[in-house]
Amino acid sequence: MKSRYNHSHWMSVFAALVMIAGLGIGSCARSQNLTANGTAIPKRPEQLKFPPLTFEAPSPAKFRVPLKNGPVAYVVPDKELPLVNIVIYVHTGSYLVPDGKEGLNELAGYLLARGGTKSKTAEALEERLAFLAAQLNSNIGDNQGSVSLNLLSKDLDEGLGILREVMTEPRFQDNKIALRKQQLLQAMKQRNDESEAIEAREAGFLAQGEKFWANRYPTAASVEGITRGDIEDFHKKWFYPSNFVVAVNGDFDRDTMVQKLENLFANWPFQGEKPSPIPTNTLFAKPGVYLVDKDVNQGRVSILLPGIKRDNPDYFNVLIMNDILGGGGFTSRIMNSVRSDEGLAYSAYSSFPGGVYYPSTFTAGFQSKSRTVAYATSIVINEMKKMTEGPPTDVEMNISKRGYIDRFPRQFATKTQIANIFAQDEFTGRYARDPEFWQKFRARIEAVTKGDVERVARKFVAPDKTVILVVGQKSDITMTLPEHPVALKDISSGPVTELPLRDPLTMKPIAGTEKSAAK
Amino acid sequence: MHLIISKRISKLLFVLATSLMAVHFASAQKVPVTEVTLDNGMKLLMVERHDEPSVSGGWVAHVGSSNERPGITGIAHLFEHMMFKGTETIGTKDYQKDQQIILEQEQVRDEMRKEEEKMRAAYRRGEIDDLMKPENKTPRWQELNKKFNELITQQRDILVKNEFDQVYTEQGGTGMNAFTSQDMTAYFITVPANKLELWMWMESERIRRPVFREFYAERDVVFEERRMRTDSTPLGKFTEEAEAMFWESVPYGWPVVGWPSDIPAISKAQADEFYGIYYAPQNITMILVGDFKTNATIALAKKYFERIPRGKKDAPDVRTLEVSQVAEKRMYAEAETNPQVDINWHTVPFGHKDSYALQVLAQILSTRTGRLYKGLVMGSQVATDTYAAQDSRKWAGLFNAGGEAKDGKTPEEVEAGVYAEIEKLKKEEVPPEELQKVKNDFAASEYRRLSSNMPILMHLIQNEGEGDWREINEAGKKIQAVTAGDVQRVVNKYLTKENRVVGVYTRKGSSQKQEGK
Repeated sequence: MKSRYNHSHWMSVFAALVMIAGLGIGSCARSQNLTANGTAIPKRPEQLKFPPLTFEAPSPAKFRVPLKNGPVAYVVPDKELPLVNIVIYVHTGSYLVPDGKEGLNELAGYLLARGGTKSKTAEALEERLAFLAAQLNSNIGDNQGSVSLNLLSKDLDEGLGILREVMTEPRFQDNKIALRKQQLLQAMKQRNDESEAIEAREAGFLAQGEKFWANRYPTAASVEGITRGDIEDFHKKWFYPSNFVVAVNGDFDRDTMVQKLENLFANWPFQGEKPSPIPTNTLFAKPGVYLVDKDVNQGRVSILLPGIKRDNPDYFNVLIMNDILGGGGFTSRIMNSVRSDEGLAYSAYSSFPGGVYYPSTFTAGFQSKSRTVAYATSIVINEMKKMTEGPPTDVEMNISKRGYIDRFPRQFATKTQIANIFAQDEFTGRYARDPEFWQKFRARIEAVTKGDVERVARKFVAPDKTVILVVGQKSDITMTLPEHPVALKDISSGPVTELPLRDPLTMKPIAGTEKSAAK
Repeated sequence: MHLIISKRISKLLFVLATSLMAVHFASAQKVPVTEVTLDNGMKLLMVERHDEPSVSGGWVAHVGSSNERPGITGIAHLFEHMMFKGTETIGTKDYQKDQQIILEQEQVRDEMRKEEEKMRAAYRRGEIDDLMKPENKTPRWQELNKKFNELITQQRDILVKNEFDQVYTEQGGTGMNAFTSQDMTAYFITVPANKLELWMWMESERIRRPVFREFYAERDVVFEERRMRTDSTPLGKFTEEAEAMFWESVPYGWPVVGWPSDIPAISKAQADEFYGIYYAPQNITMILVGDFKTNATIALAKKYFERIPRGKKDAPDVRTLEVSQVAEKRMYAEAETNPQVDINWHTVPFGHKDSYALQVLAQILSTRTGRLYKGLVMGSQVATDTYAAQDSRKWAGLFNAGGEAKDGKTPEEVEAGVYAEIEKLKKEEVPPEELQKVKNDFAASEYRRLSSNMPILMHLIQNEGEGDWREINEAGKKIQAVTAGDVQRVVNKYLTKENRVVGVYTRKGSSQKQEGK
């Protein structure tokens, strides 16, 4: 990584002095604080001058090593601390789990590192890792798995030995399988305890459809039915070197590490399968208000719209548009109106991430006391509408674009970040499609115009298609406020539908928890 | 149990907590801190680190909810929110008019407060059921509220909304946030390395001449924060009750976010008074970590921060000490949660000589290779998960342990299992290998915490806020020096029956079906 910058503070003090001399306005000088060293502190921050900071995005090619024994690795040496950090990303996920075995990815992913190896019981493995103060973890999510190891560089060889054995000869010890199943079962029982969990789950159903693979949930029966054989098969199918991408950073020499990685992946004892493509058959719900009744004094609201993929040509335009609408925190419109103006919510936001494999969902959300849920929702909908009715201001454009450009170096602040950003790009195919993504990032942000923002707002956030999910106390939420008589049913062109809670162990709707729609 | 309220939803503190639970080492790495005291009493800590072109800057005001009193609980946290509302030149187009409107708003609010007194009296007589209900406000209050809202509308014309955030965002600032705990209020952000002077400008201005505009809307925001974190979560209200029950005399008994009655009653005048005492420079520590030159930074800090005059009075010390608990206290809670037990013992505050042995003890009991997991999760199988931690706060501390019961087992069985493990530790010293394993973990974490600017800043904030930043370099040695005898001694001394408070949680309702209604 090349990063050159100059930041002498004497230089910036000097710059401030020059600036004041240049202004030479009496009224300005009067209000300035002359201090001992004779330079003045300006009244406003834009009067400060800063030395330039040049930052070049690191180039992935510099760290990229296609290993002979399978995976591509990103190798980033860094001698600052006596630590090594290794992450192995795996093409696998819950989408590859057969119907009826939901939870298999979670069990296999967790137990790989926790279930022992051929030469070590789970207990012996845990003890040894603890004594070395090494952190070994594994996990399989929706469409990616990972095994990670963070340890002191003096223990690297022993750690790599353990890593190899964990990935090639895991023990999946029976008592650990039984315990993990029990933990999953008890975690399931909490599915209706937090309104936030209910909201996240139902938002997924509404935005992608109940049949979509990502909305299949483990049940008591599916977890109960998973055998050790299922776990072993799932592991052997997907955990093989050419299905990996590796990120490694820390205290080592590059060439030595490359050789160690070659050894790590050499002579793998089994061959796996090539994973099928990730299904993209999402189904977005009909416009309307969807309500889940839950006895809490604050309602949670998610306003949903179909999203985009991140390779969409409008991706950068959408980034800026959403930043101005609700993505930019305290500089965004939704936060300003819902929180700062009205005091109606603590958190109020919108998010419009580009999906990697299929379009992800646009979400605008907040939490407000039951009686102001409908009113606050109407404010957010109105902000979305305003976004489509005209261009943003110059001030908004400037804050958003400068923000993205000036904080860009933060993406690469640590060597761990560098190794993992590039490994992820390799894993998701972005490196192959757009190898200069990060080199071009700031120029692409710079190129976004006010017209682009208005156009993508009209294209993607028109409020007439919104699906509005509300989780909270129905009796109070459906009451209007004396001073703001807006009701839930007035907010959407679609109907108000009450959704039932789901039985946490079967995920089947619980009869009687939904009543006839509030009209 | 340590409640931290942050201004925004942030994963940062979680990340920090995770990194704190990490490794340890015999030859710990020192954090090279330069300490300077400015002429006005403000402390400045600096850690030069040239690994990335940024500076993480933060400051600790040595004030938290433990400096409050009944009636104004939550004011330290509300104040944290107000510090983002701008200054005389940031946040408004017309300072004079802004001040005039704020003055008029206060006059209306004074009258509203008189009505609120009447409403509270009516509530005490049982004439109204809920002070928050719009229908329960007196006609006079509603009339005044209309008048107040007109003033808000006037103010909006000259307001530059969230300009403090705008300035930082436009200049590449990231992760701006703040938190309030019982012991401290801290503010932090990361700026590009070339913008250190912007940080100096912004932070000195908001300490020197903050303007608490939009005070009453922000009070409502804080109440929504309370609903979000406390009222609407399965355990929020129970945790609050457990804290209130635990602390006998030290002012940790009320929630950081404040009692529901106090948050809407805090006045701007009370906030002004609070600022005068607790935001004086001699009560503040500034901390910078990152890519700068120390000497030049000292000069710049003197220039910006020495403009702020030393406060006339030092903040008063908290004099009340925790009294000894003489009898076990128990809480039986029915909540929307799996059955579990949470046990707390009174122990020692930050920096106490026994706190290191208690930290080692916590590590011996917790983690997957710890005694509770081996004994209760893998062994007797009464629990599916267990934990233990020493929480050393500024004025007092506690030791916390507990776990979730396995289906078919009760919280009381988990509780008995925890006590059985503790009894073993009282009778027999921890073997050398086990003690070394735990110490190795502490030693390795001395390195892991140094991975980037922000985690280093957060460690310094935490240590300085609880009492002394030097602990960041001293604690490691003290932990390595803990002996098996020390551990046995602190278990016997603190983990006793009369010294504990126990929360037993069972699931509300007898079945999931009823749960759903």
